[in-house]
Amino acid sequence: MNRLLKLGLAVTLLLVLGSCGETTDSAPEPVADIEAAEADAPTAGTLTARQMQQWSDSCALCHVTGVADAPVIGNSEQWQARQAQGKDVLLAHTLEGFNSMPPLGYCMSCETDDFSAMIDFMIGDLQ
Amino acid sequence: MTGLTRRHLLAGGLLGASFGLPIPALSATAGSTPWRNWSGGLSATPAGRFAPASEAELAEFLGSTSGSLRPVGSGHSFTALVPTDGHLVVIDQLTGLLDHDSASMSATFGAGTRLGDMGEPLAQIGQAMLNLPDIDRQTLAGATATSTHGTGIGFTGLSAMVTELRLITPGGEVIDVNAQSHPDLFNAARVSLGALGVITRMTLQNRDTYRLKAKNWVQPIEEVLESFDEMAASHRHFEMFPLTHSYYALTLSIDETDEPINNPEPSAEEAAAFDQAMAMWAQTPPRDRRPLVNGLAEQIGPSEAVDVSYRILSNVRNNRFNEMEYSVPLEAGAECLREVLRTISEQEVDVVFPLEYRYVKRDDTWLGMSSGDEDHAAISIHRTASEDYRPYFDLIEPIFWKYGGRPHWGKIHSLGAAELTQLYPHFADFQALRAELDPQGRMLNDHLRKLFIG
Repeated sequence: MNRLLKLGLAVTLLLVLGSCGETTDSAPEPVADIEAAEADAPTAGTLTARQMQQWSDSCALCHVTGVADAPVIGNSEQWQARQAQGKDVLLAHTLEGFNSMPPLGYCMSCETDDFSAMIDFMIGDLQ
Repeated sequence: MTGLTRRHLLAGGLLGASFGLPIPALSATAGSTPWRNWSGGLSATPAGRFAPASEAELAEFLGSTSGSLRPVGSGHSFTALVPTDGHLVVIDQLTGLLDHDSASMSATFGAGTRLGDMGEPLAQIGQAMLNLPDIDRQTLAGATATSTHGTGIGFTGLSAMVTELRLITPGGEVIDVNAQSHPDLFNAARVSLGALGVITRMTLQNRDTYRLKAKNWVQPIEEVLESFDEMAASHRHFEMFPLTHSYYALTLSIDETDEPINNPEPSAEEAAAFDQAMAMWAQTPPRDRRPLVNGLAEQIGPSEAVDVSYRILSNVRNNRFNEMEYSVPLEAGAECLREVLRTISEQEVDVVFPLEYRYVKRDDTWLGMSSGDEDHAAISIHRTASEDYRPYFDLIEPIFWKYGGRPHWGKIHSLGAAELTQLYPHFADFQALRAELDPQGRMLNDHLRKLFIG
């Protein structure tokens, strides 16, 4: 494929459709994704029922599918580099936003302690 | 909500007043987490967050407390609708499909439901939304409160697709509102900016499920403008994204289809090419950018995608930005867009983000962007979240005013009550109703005071 044609397709798809890697029809259903992720969730780091609901409704939007380069829950390779920055940095990124992740990661009801628990939950056994 | 009646809630909400007991003021919660909006441009330190588990709990809370409140959806608005030093009310537990009627093709959702979470449950009952905005991570309450809309001369904004809603007033009264029961409140509450209380559920007019085919192509801006009315009339949805410092626009049409689903994800290679192009554009001074952008635009081939309706109409925006959007009367749309583009070029505004130009059908809400007797053309400008949007937006905003533009309630604008009164025939009616429902002004923050008090 001509490089400029590829570029054009990219511009068309990403500017017009704006779907930077969003799930499509061929991707697993989000509900199934979340259920699978929860079933496979690392044992380290636990969430309350309310925190799990909040995580499923917000963080999971990206951290299950890996959309926008979000590290996927339990993926040790992806989380190791993040963890090396330290928990305080990860928490600050969550509260203030970082790259594609919006501040508070779409969870408007979460407090700092909730985010801290959710980070631990997603990092899992690496801790 | 099971077993809850308006009377129960009224009783609960008025209990303190009935027996002469003081209504406790909300107290600050130590260590409450700062709030920021999606773009990161707005922040606040609320005294606390209240996330009710039920409508009854919310009504009890509102009826038994005093103090400032602001409801928040997903925090996608770029205007300061949410910031407060009082309490945030988050209805993220008032979600999901609550009821539906197959005969009328309507369905009721908890107002905290994200638009992106509505397509699948609706499909399971054989329904689909008539239209959707470009971004679907807003909540139903937030999207309608700000008059959020999609594209299409045949489609109103989301708010006018609401046939009934439940409002819990600042005093804790629960009111089920529709066009027959409370006509004025219905017309006000469908676009309320969260100023009338907290809306907890909404019934939407839907239709049977359908599939859509999107086509994208590049075309000179002037050609698109000359045929825009014809294209808008002949396609279910039609819009364009004029490239800045270019003769070209990316153009999008969407129509119903029976074709099989074919909606591939962009490849990593395509994403990398996109990043390279954006970097190249950004590094080239605006005055030198036109040949580069035109040359690249001319290489862009058409593309198509077919999918179920809600996966074509809405998209995820992973690159965060700030946005200004005004709607102008339809006949003024093309000239307004031309002046905006000409100004960007003449002033050498260093912006890479394309504009967006689309039509929206008129509606009967009081504060809808396209409310009233005429259809509107909506024009959007954007800045990436890391850039200072003010010089660019300050330069363009007076052009929108010149053409009688109305601001999107959730997007950057600088208007206040005096100007807004001139733009909306029912603005004074809304102000009066707001004052009646919230005499203490507990739903107001600084931004809303500017809008409604002046």
